Amino acid sequence: MALKLDYLARETTSNLRRNLTLTLASVVTVAVSLALVGSAFVVRAAVQHSTARWKGDVQFIVFMQANASTQQINAVRASLSPGSNPQIKRVTYFDKKQAYAEFKDIFRDEPVLQQSLTEADMPTSFRVSPRVANPDLISSMVAQQEKLPGVYRVTFGYDTVKKFERLSSLVSTVILGTALFLLGAAGLLILNTIRMAMFARRREIEVMKLVGATNWFIRVPFMLEGLAQGLAGAIPAVVAVYVLYNRLGSASSGTASSTNILQGLYVSSGEVFGISVGLLIVGCLVGVVGSGIAVTRFLDV
Amino acid sequence: MIRLENVSKTYKGDVTALRGANANIEKGEFVFLVGPSGSGKSTMIRLLNKAEVPSEGQIFVAGKDIGELSSWKVPFLRRNIGCVFQDFKLLPTKTVYENVAFALEVIGRPKHVIKSQVPAILDLVGLSKKMENLPHELSGGEQQRVSIARAFVNRPLILLADEPTGNLDPATSVGIMRLLDRINRDGTTVVMATHDRAIVDTMRRRVIELDRGSIIRDQSRGVYE
Repeated sequence: MALKLDYLARETTSNLRRNLTLTLASVVTVAVSLALVGSAFVVRAAVQHSTARWKGDVQFIVFMQANASTQQINAVRASLSPGSNPQIKRVTYFDKKQAYAEFKDIFRDEPVLQQSLTEADMPTSFRVSPRVANPDLISSMVAQQEKLPGVYRVTFGYDTVKKFERLSSLVSTVILGTALFLLGAAGLLILNTIRMAMFARRREIEVMKLVGATNWFIRVPFMLEGLAQGLAGAIPAVVAVYVLYNRLGSASSGTASSTNILQGLYVSSGEVFGISVGLLIVGCLVGVVGSGIAVTRFLDV
Repeated sequence: MIRLENVSKTYKGDVTALRGANANIEKGEFVFLVGPSGSGKSTMIRLLNKAEVPSEGQIFVAGKDIGELSSWKVPFLRRNIGCVFQDFKLLPTKTVYENVAFALEVIGRPKHVIKSQVPAILDLVGLSKKMENLPHELSGGEQQRVSIARAFVNRPLILLADEPTGNLDPATSVGIMRLLDRINRDGTTVVMATHDRAIVDTMRRRVIELDRGSIIRDQSRGVYE
């Protein structure tokens, strides 16, 4: 009898340990892959925000001084209008109100900064799309504009922005691809973990079938186990995304100048929340699909 | 209650386990399936609760062709058929009470039903004093009583027993047979595959003899040979 108890204890603990390591492996894989997915989306959103001003062929931005007079603004407007300057395709004027709205949007998570500035402090600006993307021509246009009275600064950054965008989209695509592979691996790991769990409980399953438990009654606990593993992996990934969000916030607060080429690499709290919910859903899906395949393939009744 | 019409079962590699079997078992009957190992007794038992499907022929249980049953309905067929095996199939980590209660839990019986049914059935099989013991703390005969209690706790119409006394000594076997007889007297149809000559010869019930997959004898109040 002592031998039997000893044997049972040994079998149970080794079973548990084997399942524990496998469970841990699948949870960690889900966590790593989802953390990569989340980071890629955070970076993508941040890049989109920081380059939002450069949409639609905007090649340079003429910032007026905050106290520039109406005549000075009109003079710049006249020199930039497509009617008088054939090299310019389109120009958009950003008044103080729009500038203040954009400023509030960029620094929405920094109320102190928001309170320190008012609408009157905002510089107005012209976003200029030239007809041709010739760097020499554009730099001579920039030099001309900088000399006009009331102009605070001309930010010229089209090439830099485009390079930055291309690089970041390449990086995030590579990260996403890797993450998808890892996610597939995580699904397979969960499938195997559940298969092991079913093997460990095969006597119970046999009895359940024998006395007439329905297929779903037998399947659901295993699918819940898979779901729990997916969810357990998604939670650390969400934490990682929030850490990244905070880091981006503190890194971009030092560059609080709205006339820089790139604005702060910020992400709004709403976007981070959306990404997190997405990660939780994907984690649960991976768990349910992995365990679902396991129960339908290895639990035929 | 059970009707077999020209039932054959062939396994992979042309192994014929059952060949053109015909039989009709009425409600409340007690039937022995006898024959040497490999004659098809276990196959017949496994076909009756749709653990396997026949290669040919039809099987009717309670008037229904179970070959027509869609897979989601099979569990409901099995709720009407209790099963007892030579190796008991008890769960080693559950107590006697939990083993029997498990059969009701997994088919969704409410707690108060379980609380009243399980002690009653354990009383019937004579184990009311061992409810909190684990299976390995019981003798073979006691373990088989637990497995009968589990098979019968849901009051099935049919009880299938595949060599239930195969692992037990003659004296213990007699006790198990008394229990099956008691269950049969309540109106449950019992089909029991066995090798045990002494049991068949003392009980004098209907005997269906199989040899290499064919039914070669069907005799009421029969003997082993």
